[in-house]
Amino acid sequence: MIAAAVYALGALAALATLLMLFQRNPVKAAMLMLTALLATAGIYLALSAQLLAALQIILYAGAIMTLFIVALTVLPQAWRDHPARAPFIKVLGLAAAAVILTELVQAAAALKTAVRPTGFSETGALALAQQLFGRFAFQFELLSLVILASIVGAVALAAKRRDA
Amino acid sequence: MTPFLYAHQDLLLFAGVGLAKVIVFMGGVMTFAALLTLAERKVSALMQDRVGPNRASVFGFAFNGLFHPIADALKMIFKEDFVPAKAEKFLFTLAPFFAIAPVIALFAFIPFGDYVTVLGYRVDLQIADLPSALFFILALSGLAIYGTFLAGWSAKNNFALLGAMRGAAQMISYEVALGLTLVGLLMIYGTAGLQEMVRAQGALLLGFIPAWGVVLQPFACVLFLIAAIAENKRTPFDLVEGESEIIGYFMEYSSMRFAGFMFAEFLEMIVIAMLLTTLFFGGWQVPYLYEAGFTLPGGRAIPLDHYIVSALQVGSFTVKVVFFSWFMLIVRWTLPRFRFDQLMALCWKGLLPLALLNILATGAALLFLGKL
Repeated sequence: MIAAAVYALGALAALATLLMLFQRNPVKAAMLMLTALLATAGIYLALSAQLLAALQIILYAGAIMTLFIVALTVLPQAWRDHPARAPFIKVLGLAAAAVILTELVQAAAALKTAVRPTGFSETGALALAQQLFGRFAFQFELLSLVILASIVGAVALAAKRRDA
Repeated sequence: MTPFLYAHQDLLLFAGVGLAKVIVFMGGVMTFAALLTLAERKVSALMQDRVGPNRASVFGFAFNGLFHPIADALKMIFKEDFVPAKAEKFLFTLAPFFAIAPVIALFAFIPFGDYVTVLGYRVDLQIADLPSALFFILALSGLAIYGTFLAGWSAKNNFALLGAMRGAAQMISYEVALGLTLVGLLMIYGTAGLQEMVRAQGALLLGFIPAWGVVLQPFACVLFLIAAIAENKRTPFDLVEGESEIIGYFMEYSSMRFAGFMFAEFLEMIVIAMLLTTLFFGGWQVPYLYEAGFTLPGGRAIPLDHYIVSALQVGSFTVKVVFFSWFMLIVRWTLPRFRFDQLMALCWKGLLPLALLNILATGAALLFLGKL
């Protein structure tokens, strides 16, 4: 029953992601991505990783996707349908996709032979927090700098486009 | 009993008890939400020196307007189900569901009592007791924003889109403040499970003050109430749907589709009242009432039956929830609406720094006073 739920939700996530790639309307694409993210949270729940499922919804579906949607509505550029790219860019994109796909298949092959753990107990919020703010405190704080840099970058990019 | 039923006895019992809890609790919540729509109109009438709705009657009996929720529901069902020609049909239909589903899911985590023993079985008075319930509450309330946004966007109406964008900005902002006000509680109780939090609130401070969240975190309680009302988009934070200017994100909705949004708002009010009760006002706890009965600070004990204790606890939870629901009605008919820049300033320059300060103060107190 757990396996069936995992496969069904996984299929839903994969399908939604595929549909998202071929969706030209930005808001509809965002909604499809939301479906994929919620399906992933469902997989975590089926595997009884409750905290991970909650964090997945809070961070991805609740925070990142909403910001994404708000950005889409605030930036007028997002509403314009972009003309199709030049052929060589398409070929380049396909080549990059092929490389990533081979990498993923290779990585997944190793997972198949990995030993399945017999007993599973989820890391609680307390243990997770102790790791994040204790052992990995430096890395955790470093990550916030990366996010800050990306915010500055996004503002710079948006401001530049407005002049043009 | 067939072999299959016999083999899965525990599972069936679990499912049956769960279903019974859902039916009883959600039945109560839904009835209360319907009555709250009437209470909203009656309270506004009271505060404006009017009589309020009192005409809907069955065989000539009006009971001072008690039948109005049923009349409203019938009217909503029989109204024209209208979809604008240019609307995104699928998302337009999906939006009311997106508004109401996360709110209904939230009720699963609320403990409305301790436990009762029925025929030798211990039945916990909570639908889903998760160790990370508080995170799920934040997660699900974060999903409510999609209902608002989709409704405004899919209708292809500029006023609706404006309302949706205001709503999205408001809900994102106040969600941050809402989450931060709860950090202090997490630090004090050291758990994210709501039932455990309520049990912890049964302790006494200095031997006679109940250790309710409002006593330990009075500041967070006020901030939580403000942020939660803003998250629910009720007056004084209702400029998302400001009737006098933009009508709001559900402008193009009619009949039961509109009723979906309306009902979601009332359900959200009840959830906020329940969360406020559970987190800050001791949930189902009655001061000095323990499993065996009352034990007063002086040491005097009044033993009570298990069922009387349970009834008192569920009753205490109900009374608190009704009180806070009523309080939100009063707020709506007392305060005027904010301007949008005032709304954003209140969140980012007011609630957010204060919530962070509260966390700092709580951390300092825990550090110097030791664990409570």
